Amino acid sequence: MDAHAAQHAVAASSAFSSRPEDLAWFILLLPLIAAAGIAFGVRRSPFLSSTLSISATVTAFILSVALFLAFGLGGYASSPSPFSWIHVGSLNVDLGLAVDRLSVLMLVIVTGVSALVQIYSTAYLHGDPGLSRYFGSISLFTFSMLGIVLADNLVMMFVFWELVGVSSYLLIGFWFEKPSAADAAKKAFLTNRLGDFGFLLGILVVWSATGSVSFTEIGNALGGNPTALGGLASIAGLLIFCGAMGKSAQFPLHVWLPDAMEGPTPVSALIHAATMVAAGVYMLCRSYVLFQAPGAWPAHLWFLGDITALDIIAIIGGFTALLAALIAFQQDDIKRILAYSTLSQLGYMVMAVGCGGPDAAMYHLTTHAGFKALLFLGAGAVIHACHHEQDIWKMGGLWHRLPVTFRTFAIGTAALAGVPILTSGFYSKDAILVAALDGGHPVLFGLGVLVAAFTPFYMLRLVIVAFFGKPRTDAARHAHEAPMAMTWPLIALAIPSIAVAWFGLGDFLSAHFNPHFHAHEGGGLFGPFNHAPLAAVFGTGSLIFGVTAAFGIYWGATTDPLPERLGLLSRAMRNRFYFDEVYEAIFVPMHDMVGRLAAAVDRWVVSGLGIRGAHGSVELAGRALRLLQTGNLQTYTFLFAAGVAVVVFVATK
Amino acid sequence: MSLSQLLLTPFAGALLVLLVPGNYRVVHRFIALVTTAITALGAVSVFAAFQPGIAGMQFEEQAAWVPAAGFGFHLGVDGVNIGLVLMASLVAFAATCVSWDIEKQPKLFYILLLVMTGGALGAFLSLDLFFLYFFNELALVPTFIMMGVWGRGENRNYATFQITLYLTLGALIGLSGLALLYSQSGANTLDWVTLKAWLAEKPLSGHSQNLILPLLLVGFGTLVGLFPFHSWAAPGYAAAPSATAMMHAGVLKKVGLYVLLRVALPFCPAAMNHWATPLAVLAMGNVLYCGWVALRQRDLFLLLGNSSLAHMGFCFLGLAAANVIGVTGVVLIMVAHGLLAALSFGLAGHLTKVTGTSDIDKLGGLLKTLPFVGGALVMAFLAGCGVPGFANFPGELTVLFGAWKSFPIFVILAAWGGLLIGGVYMLRAIRDLLHGPLRDGSIQGGDAGPWRRVPFLVLLAALLYFGINPGSLSDRIAPSAERIALVKSISAPATVAATAHAAH
Repeated sequence: MDAHAAQHAVAASSAFSSRPEDLAWFILLLPLIAAAGIAFGVRRSPFLSSTLSISATVTAFILSVALFLAFGLGGYASSPSPFSWIHVGSLNVDLGLAVDRLSVLMLVIVTGVSALVQIYSTAYLHGDPGLSRYFGSISLFTFSMLGIVLADNLVMMFVFWELVGVSSYLLIGFWFEKPSAADAAKKAFLTNRLGDFGFLLGILVVWSATGSVSFTEIGNALGGNPTALGGLASIAGLLIFCGAMGKSAQFPLHVWLPDAMEGPTPVSALIHAATMVAAGVYMLCRSYVLFQAPGAWPAHLWFLGDITALDIIAIIGGFTALLAALIAFQQDDIKRILAYSTLSQLGYMVMAVGCGGPDAAMYHLTTHAGFKALLFLGAGAVIHACHHEQDIWKMGGLWHRLPVTFRTFAIGTAALAGVPILTSGFYSKDAILVAALDGGHPVLFGLGVLVAAFTPFYMLRLVIVAFFGKPRTDAARHAHEAPMAMTWPLIALAIPSIAVAWFGLGDFLSAHFNPHFHAHEGGGLFGPFNHAPLAAVFGTGSLIFGVTAAFGIYWGATTDPLPERLGLLSRAMRNRFYFDEVYEAIFVPMHDMVGRLAAAVDRWVVSGLGIRGAHGSVELAGRALRLLQTGNLQTYTFLFAAGVAVVVFVATK
Repeated sequence: MSLSQLLLTPFAGALLVLLVPGNYRVVHRFIALVTTAITALGAVSVFAAFQPGIAGMQFEEQAAWVPAAGFGFHLGVDGVNIGLVLMASLVAFAATCVSWDIEKQPKLFYILLLVMTGGALGAFLSLDLFFLYFFNELALVPTFIMMGVWGRGENRNYATFQITLYLTLGALIGLSGLALLYSQSGANTLDWVTLKAWLAEKPLSGHSQNLILPLLLVGFGTLVGLFPFHSWAAPGYAAAPSATAMMHAGVLKKVGLYVLLRVALPFCPAAMNHWATPLAVLAMGNVLYCGWVALRQRDLFLLLGNSSLAHMGFCFLGLAAANVIGVTGVVLIMVAHGLLAALSFGLAGHLTKVTGTSDIDKLGGLLKTLPFVGGALVMAFLAGCGVPGFANFPGELTVLFGAWKSFPIFVILAAWGGLLIGGVYMLRAIRDLLHGPLRDGSIQGGDAGPWRRVPFLVLLAALLYFGINPGSLSDRIAPSAERIALVKSISAPATVAATAHAAH
């Protein structure tokens, strides 16, 4: 063990100069240093706190881009750990960093969005008394998220996974005096915990089957013996997926994400659009090797037959995509519409992984991170302008009052809707539809096309109602554009929403997962129409359908006409299909009832075992008390002496 | 600092306090504080000087006492107790700090606290089991007196009575187990090192093991609060003064576990195998049942007391697993939980004193008025529900890994208890106590001043240090754990073990 540690130390000391992947250590630790600096140093000064936090993140972003450029062309490197976390018996966990296409891409996304969000926050939260705490938490969050991205083994990923949960808890509950925010933070943390429970068990299964928690070693073990996981192969995959279900808010653990909108809007942009919720998808892609192993079920689950873990993942993803899109139809809160849209898009990504297209999932994750962060920050600018009004029916006519916000928001909407050729969203969504087709899931493909029609519908509903027509309240009438610190990040995020697809990111990712990948001939901007025309044509068709429907129904409307037309369905959509109510009616009382029972038993039965008899317990206690008050110490001494006597007796026997 | 000096320091302090006349209150406090500070620094230096990677005893000191009966004074540390010694002295220092405001008979209070400290250290340092037992009793007596005299709450007398009865009976049963061990081994000694060598040659007969082990499990289990012998704990801690609750929940409670690790595991291996499953079942009683009970508590101390019992369940599970990973995890938890229990009870004591109640329903929004105490309490609650970064997480994780192969179902249940049930009551406590609007507008100020923060900062720093760098503990623990573990090491599939080896 010592030699091992020494070896690591040597490797670490000599490595920083020569190997680009060791830059990752700086990227990881910079936000942590900022968080510690704020907590122990400058927390009394909001200005210094925000400056420290922002400069650390911006530096990390620059380093990430440098790493991306230095490393982007392929390969895998792991930066060995200068410190071992725990080594006991066959449990060996180090903090090593995995640097490859997947993680460097995520580094750029996380640090980039985080930096922009922080800059935006300086204006959005200007004057808030908790500003230092805010920047401390956001630095801690960024650190934890980078940890997930870089972790080279399952346990370290779980550690950072939990830390992301905690820091998002702190951020959602930033305004903790507000009961709704405090409740939402708690709910988010506990719902995530439910997923983490499965994740942890999955790690245990994988560890006991392969003897390691490191991704590389697990990969090697499964490479040498694809059936190493035995009958638990599919179970292990699904357990690991549980973690993703929590963080990426997949049905049935999706209920926390909309509530989490109680946090400050920039937090929603960072956590609930670009990073934390993407962690689940990223984790699935990182541990994809587990899902490539041939599926197998324990004997008593024989009826599952040929269904693989990936199939189940794809179905859950597709279902989430559809469910969330339907709920988004009838939400009136601008942030909640975006929240359900995020759920729906995450469902898309998860479906892509399940259909055997992790590259498509990562592609969509990347483009989505940009335009969804843009949409949330735009929504923040709107809310800011309308004096914290979030109901879109109380807005209207904002397009010329908030010119920058409107234009960038429109770009984000176009990207989310998937306008062909012009936006990045089209290409990544197309990649997912192609993955569903290629993976042999025609039903899921159809479902994807349906959701692709729903998406422009609910987004245009938002845009038309909030930005066009006549202002419906005074707040909307007197709205004015946000300050520079807020509009500037919007513009910065609008650029990748248009341009990111032009750089062959899709091929870059495909090459990561498939070493034999060759770029499609006739790629370029019109590539999708050439090599998979079915998906591209259906995607475009559904866009046109959704846009037409939205304009037909909402142009010029002052109230929502859908409730009358859809009746009960609309009510169900408005009420999120009653999931929260059902959960609250079942799970909370169930645990509370068990708790009540246990507490009662503890009071009356278990205590009775020792002292209170079933009869005359009061009397006995009374007598005992008298004993205590008059001669307890003597009694005690007597017992002690009796003990010693026993020893002496036995010793001299 | 040698181990005997470390052990004598608190007793010397107690003697000094005794010699100073009763009206020099500041002097008493000062002596107690300096004594425990020296002890803590001494323990840190011993911990730092301890060589990781060595399985055997270090810094041994020995003196004969009753050679005829084989009793002797024998001090030493290995991986199993070195962390506990450090934890005990840090907690003792913190407990002395939070006792600054004791008004009633401070002289007696400090003497008892120092005796308790010395007793706890003696129990962890003594390798002669007779002295181990003696020091444990020496530390327990002040516990009872302190509860009776300085305790709080209406149920104080009943709680004191209950804890006294339970712990005394528990200790007696445990003692009879040790006595049987003494008579059955034929080694004519209770010196652990000698016994270990002796029993390696001539193991106890299965019959003797089956007699001794249940006595040890029930007796010393009761001292830890093993389900269903746990009902003394929560009301006891609710009634105890802060320092006593910190010392008992943090330190003394661990002695029972320590004896089980030291004695039950290596000396009764066959019986341990036999009793492993029942023990794991009882451990679930702690994790799940006490967790559920905690879910219903509306008194801060009862909540903390029950959650502390739930954590002990993880220790029993690791003990039942009895392999090196499980045992190492148990020791990690013991250290972590000691620090955490002391931190939580100390903070809860401060909060109760400021607000005048420990009823969660009467409180709310305290993070606003008590930013430091509230913030530290948030950290303690989070540590208590197993958030990484704090020492409890690696401990509980290691136990789960260790127990996975032998008790997968129990590991699933324990993970549920730790991640979910623990999460629910801890987060609910944060929500009701610290978040939300301020319930009682009359509470103004009362946050800990710079000096009052010291004990909490010390404990938090230790929790974070061992949480971020658990290797500093586990590298010390593991070689010694290997010596007492029953299952020497879990066999990994050969191919993977080979690749893992090659990778290092």
